[in-house]
Amino acid sequence: MSRSTLALSLLCLAAASVGLSAGPAGWMAPWHAVQRLVDGDVIVASLRAPRVGLAALVGASLGLAGAVMQTLLRNDLADPYVLGLSGGASVGAVVSLLLLPAVPPGLLAAFGAGATALLVRGLAGAPYDRTRLLLAGVTLSSLLTSLTGLLLILAPEDRLLRSMSFWLFGGMGTPRVSLLAVPAVLLVLSFSWLVSRAERLDRLTMGDDVATSLGVDVPVTQRYVLVWAVALTASAVAVGGLVGFVGLIAPHAARRLVGAPHRAMLPATVLLGAALVMGADTVARTAFAPRELPVGLVTAGLGGPFFLSLLRRVST
Amino acid sequence: MSAVAAERIIVEDVVRASGIAVGWNGRPVLRDINLAVRPGERLALLGSNGSGKTTLLRVLAGLAAPLEGELRWRGTSLPKGGARCRVVGYVLQAEAPVHFTVRQVVALGLGTDGPLSTPQAAHVARVLADEGLTELADRPCSTLSGGEWQRAVIARALVAEPALLLLDEPTSHLDPARRAVLHERLLRLRDQAVVLATHDLELAALCERVMILGDGRAMFDGAPGDVLTTEALQVSLGVRVRRLDDPQGGPALFRVVGLAPKVMPREDA
Repeated sequence: MSRSTLALSLLCLAAASVGLSAGPAGWMAPWHAVQRLVDGDVIVASLRAPRVGLAALVGASLGLAGAVMQTLLRNDLADPYVLGLSGGASVGAVVSLLLLPAVPPGLLAAFGAGATALLVRGLAGAPYDRTRLLLAGVTLSSLLTSLTGLLLILAPEDRLLRSMSFWLFGGMGTPRVSLLAVPAVLLVLSFSWLVSRAERLDRLTMGDDVATSLGVDVPVTQRYVLVWAVALTASAVAVGGLVGFVGLIAPHAARRLVGAPHRAMLPATVLLGAALVMGADTVARTAFAPRELPVGLVTAGLGGPFFLSLLRRVST
Repeated sequence: MSAVAAERIIVEDVVRASGIAVGWNGRPVLRDINLAVRPGERLALLGSNGSGKTTLLRVLAGLAAPLEGELRWRGTSLPKGGARCRVVGYVLQAEAPVHFTVRQVVALGLGTDGPLSTPQAAHVARVLADEGLTELADRPCSTLSGGEWQRAVIARALVAEPALLLLDEPTSHLDPARRAVLHERLLRLRDQAVVLATHDLELAALCERVMILGDGRAMFDGAPGDVLTTEALQVSLGVRVRRLDDPQGGPALFRVVGLAPKVMPREDA
């Protein structure tokens, strides 16, 4: 394990233990929190731990999805939602809240994200072309965002507007532990697949012709990477709503820390993404306690300045 | 010649194209191209912009299939996966630099998955030294000059020791000194067959064989002394060229002195 990976793992542990220690009523020492977790204390073990786990999963999944989406599209500004996934997820969520108020909106949101990705891929047509894919994604995303807005305006209940705005910025509830199994398994599978093909992803960043001439089966690799990225994003959206900026920031920060090769960058991205959302969620839960902020507001608050500095760097 | 001897000669060709047509979207740009290149042999493709040099190189690299005719690498088709790097190394005309370091880029040329083994890392270091890149090895490629980046991608193509090296306008970004170094480097390649697309007439004159593309076909094909004549260059490239032969038998020098009469822009145009 390299020094950077070790440092990031420690950062993750620190974010997790702070997350376990912090609550609306105040802080406790992290070792007390760990002790209470081991003792099976209701607040720490049943309420905070699943929440911290959820934040870690959402951050790691979005980070990983963002990293490979940037590779796939050869675009530094790509994020997990860039192919219209956020628009599709929003429509799914708002339809779910309207028609099935008893069911959490995540399921239809994930379905909306996945369906949008398929539609964008279909609209972009063959052969695979990054610019067409991006343009189709951006266009469909704005169409679906306006549809979401229309549904919200025409909806009869104010309650919908409130729960929807919470969801749109990445409102996380306290999940059942069993609910985390699917995103966790997906994260492990996709991470193993992607890291084991890290050098092919490296070759892919040098362009399709170079990658092909260096032995990469480009269409097959691209297809799998797209499927993993969409699945990771949809699963993160299903359990955590739309958490912005993590998928953009985590890969960039990881590249700066450990370099661009995927074999080091992907693990670093996963750890950073997890640490970032765990930290942001702790702030979201405690900053205005007893009121809770959507975690996306906090990640966007951190991500906005980073994104602007990146834009400046790209343009100069 | 016995059948066995004939077969041996065919297999010795690193790449052999028989009557191939190449093009885009099913539309041919070049037809009836025949070529065979052996180890240590260099073939220069000349031609005006749009004459199909890059299209032909992409087909020879296995990136696109010929529209018709037969193409073989060492008597067979290209292998799949990383083994392909040991058959063909391809250097594109204008490749955007990446975030990796020079060493990482060169290592990716091996075509293998997973971290490098110790012998592989030593081999990469040796190639970096051979190509004069040791000092740049740990620099990010995005900070290199055009010529340094060009050398890095040539090293990436050479690291797997491919039987066939394809170079698309290798001297286009180079200053005179770097150009001279590249000319000399190409002459030192003894094991590889090289096919290069270029506008550089002096570089073409260094090769064993020159093919001038134009009018959708190979207009001239043969030894540089026979092909790089003022008449042929006038007809195929539309330029008037003064050729200065080396009295000591070295490659000729060329000076473009103007456009050929038939393509001179008319006053009233």
